[in-house]
Parts: sequence; C-alpha cells; structure tokens
Amino acid sequence: MVEALGDVLAGPLHAPSADGIAALRAELDVAARAATVVGGWSEAEPLRLSKHLVTGLLRCPRRALSERGERNPRGQAEGQERTGPCEDRGAGDDVVMGSMVDAAAKLATVSPRQSVTVDAALAFLTALGDTTVADHLADLGPAAARLIADAAARIDRLARSGLAGVDPGWWPRVEDPVRVVLAGGAVTVAGRIDVLLGGPPTGRPGVIVEVKSGRWYDGMRADGHLYALMVALRDGEAPASAVTIVSDGTTNVEPIRPALLQHAAERLDEAIGVAARLAAGEPPAMSPGAHCQHCPVRPDCTVGRGWRLEAAEDRS
Amino acid sequence: MTVDDPVGTADRLRAAVAEQIAGALAGAGVPVGDIYVGWGAALEAATCAARYRGRGELGWAFPGWSPPLAGGACGRAALAHHMAQADLAGRPATLPTPLDAIRTWMRALRTAGDASAGGAPPPERSSVGDWICETWEAGDFATLAAVAATAGRWLAGFVRVLGWPLPAQLTLLNAPGPAAVAAPSWRPDKASPVTVACGADARLGRVTRAGGFVLVVHRVTTADDGAIRDRAAFEAAAGALGIGVVPASVLVSGGDTGERVTAPVDHDLLALGADRIAAVVSQRAIATERGFEPADSTPSTSCRHCDHLAECPPGQAWMRLAERWRGGLPVN
Repeated sequence: MVEALGDVLAGPLHAPSADGIAALRAELDVAARAATVVGGWSEAEPLRLSKHLVTGLLRCPRRALSERGERNPRGQAEGQERTGPCEDRGAGDDVVMGSMVDAAAKLATVSPRQSVTVDAALAFLTALGDTTVADHLADLGPAAARLIADAAARIDRLARSGLAGVDPGWWPRVEDPVRVVLAGGAVTVAGRIDVLLGGPPTGRPGVIVEVKSGRWYDGMRADGHLYALMVALRDGEAPASAVTIVSDGTTNVEPIRPALLQHAAERLDEAIGVAARLAAGEPPAMSPGAHCQHCPVRPDCTVGRGWRLEAAEDRS
Repeated sequence: MTVDDPVGTADRLRAAVAEQIAGALAGAGVPVGDIYVGWGAALEAATCAARYRGRGELGWAFPGWSPPLAGGACGRAALAHHMAQADLAGRPATLPTPLDAIRTWMRALRTAGDASAGGAPPPERSSVGDWICETWEAGDFATLAAVAATAGRWLAGFVRVLGWPLPAQLTLLNAPGPAAVAAPSWRPDKASPVTVACGADARLGRVTRAGGFVLVVHRVTTADDGAIRDRAAFEAAAGALGIGVVPASVLVSGGDTGERVTAPVDHDLLALGADRIAAVVSQRAIATERGFEPADSTPSTSCRHCDHLAECPPGQAWMRLAERWRGGLPVN
C-alpha cells in the first residue's frame, strides 16, 4: 500500500516483456472456440463478458445469472461494466454512490484545477448524459442528504489519492474502452478502464487505475488483473501496474508480472468455460460465500442461507 | 472486382444514387424536408426501419452538440490545431498530450481575434467551436470537462491506433483550420433536400484522378457500430460521391480493440454503400405517410432502449426472449 498515485508514477515502473502476449491471445482463442461449440454462440449472437460477469461466473454462477435479470439501473449496453461494490444499502443507493465516486475521480483526472464536490460530480455526470444519479437523489428528496454527505466524505478521501494533478505527459484518459474479441467474434470481453495512464504511444509504462466506492477487499484486485490482460491484448504491450483507489482511503498498487497476466487469462478461460456449460443448459452451480449477504436470490437459496447461518454461528 | 476508373465510377455512382433518391422522393406523399444522410442514420435505417421512421422531425434533425456527440469533432479540431501550430512554427509536430491539446484549442477559440493573446493562430470557426465558446461564456465548466473527457478519449485512441508520427500524407477531415480539410459531402442537385455526408476522420494520400487515396474511419468503440464492411461500404460510397473519385480503400480502426482493418473498395462495396444511402432517403420518404409500424421492425438489443417498445409486438416478443437469454447466457 502507498499513500498516493503520485508515488507510483514517481517510482520505478517496469512493464513485463511483450513476448508472451501473442501466446496468451492464442490460448484464449483456442479455449473460446472450444467453448463456442458447447455454448452455441456466434458473431451475431456472441457471449458478452464484462469484468463483473467474469467475477460473478467464477464466484457463484447462480448469482451471476440472476443479476443479469435485474433491471440495469444505469442503462449500460451489454458488456459494459457496472461500478460500485455492494454495500449495506439498497441496490439503487449502492449504484448511485458508485456513480458519484466514479464521476468525481474522472472529473478530478480531466479537470485537475477544479475542486471536486458532489455537485461538480453530478454536473459532470449530467453533462455526459447520465441523469440517473440526479433523478435518484431527486426521488429521495430530503432523505438524499445522508447519501450526499456519505458521498462527500468519500470524494474528499478520494481527492487525496493523487488523481488530480497527474502530469499531462502521462496522457490521463478516463473510461478508456477496451474490448477483446475471441473465436471470430463469438466471444467478446469489454470494459472501460476508469483511468488509464501512459502506455503506447506515450513512451511511458502503462498504469491502470480502478476506482472503487466501497471498502477495500482482496477480490478487487481481480478487476485490475483482467484489465491489464485486456490492455496487453489490445496494445501488444502490458501495463506496468494496476492501481486500485478505494474511497475508504485505500490505494492498492500491484506491479503487473507475466504470472499475473497468465493468471488473469486462466480466470477468463475458466469463466468462458462456465458460461458455455450454462448456455448449454447445465443448472448453475451455487457457491456460497461472503457474497451471499447481498445476493438477490438469497431468499430462495438454501445453500446461501445455510452459509450465512454457519457464519453467524462461527461469529457467536 | 476492383475499381479501375475511379473518376468514371464515381460519376456513374452519382448518377445511380441520384436516380434512386429521386425515385424515393417521388414516392413521398408530401414534400420531404431536409434529409441528412450520415452513418448514424444509415445504420438505424438498415437495422430497424420502423424505429428510424418513428423518430420524427426532431429525431431526424441534428440533435445539437453535447459532450458525447462532440468527442470526435473536438478531438479532431484539437489535433488539427496542434499540427497547425507546429506547422506555423516551422517544426514537426510533437506527440500531442490529449488534455493539453484540447485545452490549448479551447483557449485559442476563446482568444481568437484578441490581439493581446499573442502568437497563437486563431482556429477557424466551426459549429462545434462556436458551441465551445458559448459553453465557456455560460460558465458551464462541467460540460467543458465532459468534452475534455470524450475528446481526449477520441484523440488518444486515434493517435494510439494510427501511431505517431501519424502516417505520411495523412490529412484530417471534418476539422477546422489549415491542417485539415472539410469532410466530403454531396447533394444530388442544388434543389435536393438530401445531403450525404462522409464521416471519415482522415484521408491518406492526395486525391488525384487516379484514385489511390485511403479514407480513415476511427471508431472509439466498436460494439454498437455495426459490421466493419457495412461501415466501410457507407463511407466509401459517401466519400466517392462527395469527392468525385473512388477511394482505393477504407481503413477502419477501433479504439477499444486496437484493430486496423483495410477494406479495399470494389464495385460490390460501393453498391452496398449506395444501397445504405438510398435506404435512408427511402425510409424518410415513406415516413411522410407511415411513421413507426411494428410490421417493419427488426428486433434487436436496441429494443431495450426503444421509445416504441410499448407499441411494438415484435420488439416485445424479442424482449420476452431477452428476459430469458441475455448476452449469450440464460437469465435465471
């Protein structure tokens, strides 16, 4: 853990060799083609994966499928990422909080001289055509005050992360789109990197920055790993580092090594395999864990309910 | 079959498309207002004719500038300004830093004509430049920041995928200033309500009667832009109509995928593009009598966000299926 992004950019950064990237793509393509035979996908009707879905399929397939049936609160297209981990609030508040923190981080990145407040983040979101947050807060009325105060505290902590004031030579860009197409288009993995620094053609090593609105937990690292892999496949050059900035004040820095890229590729391979079996009609496996606490199908899931009971007994 | 007579082929294409357009307009129940045929309209008319017809006058018209819509225009303008400044100083352009290039262009817009501003060359006026000035004067800094985000994304992706220095003989299209030229556009005749606009971002090579030049189309994201061949076909035909010479190929790049795909222009590609152009005018003409009609719909993922879903049984049927199957996976 380090204090701020500036420490990362000032320190030595070494991107891993590009030697193994083509082999990773080839391996993933072979796996995706094999899975396509089982899953029945095509270029016209592909499997569309996002970082959220990859994590979901590996964590608990049943929950991953059930979440796809939920109304998408931010109106993203398929394959786009939803931000904001679950907190102990309703899903609407959770997504809204994620959006506000996310927008504040991006505004700080592109407009470093502007003080970033909740109002500024809301105006930025609205200017980009996303009125979901403003609408949600308006619907809440006076009850929105607590949410806004919470967001302000998180944004204040975020302001100390060093996102504002990054040297322009790092080419700070927000929501950088990345998409990996496998098996001739039958399998796609898409996402938007919160903030991307360096990388081709800047002559500086690439640094992926992911912004999270909740509390730090180790599972957040996987998103950075997947994006590092996707950027490597897109650019033919792996980033040097993945930085996760969390609104609880945590900044996690992870140097990207070939083994991490390999691990991310193996996770993606496994997720595609799980998806293929689900698409072929196999019932989704239920894998209980801490995620059960916020699962939308919890009331109907004996496995999940059982896990919570055991966990509660352990605590007592 | 490749095109061996770029000028003659473009002439014949103009005649053929003009005839198709005239035929479509003649079938309209009432005179048709201005029709702007760009790739967005062509894609929508081809993917769901009913939805395109249902947009109405406001939907067919230019919706006005907004940060998402202005990303490409501002990114090109900022890059063109950056290159023009270097040219004026008699030095090769350095690698632009996206946010700096955009801010420099915006400041130059604001100080254009201001003698106290010093040596910065005033960017030539443009619709998007005027909008930026108005936004600045209104003190709407959230919108300016949002433009910096979207334009920076365009500029960064364009330079990353095409490489720096930019390819030799690259000329930016559809951007103001001396380092760029206007995008090709074409009207069948002076009185026609139809304008066909080529959406290429750049051109590689000079336009000569021998053809040989390449149109460059940069897509920030590729998932919702249709097939590469369709996009290349439209831009090849629109470019040939506007320039009067058929391009040798269309280079389609993807910011999200990093891909660069070259589509050689042949007669089949031009015919496909011409059909896409004619289809827009045809649907617009039909819309004078029949707006949205479910029987003409083509359900797809677009149904999720379609304003006509409530009155579209095919779309609703598709959505019922989509509720059980989404993005290649069943929904439980």
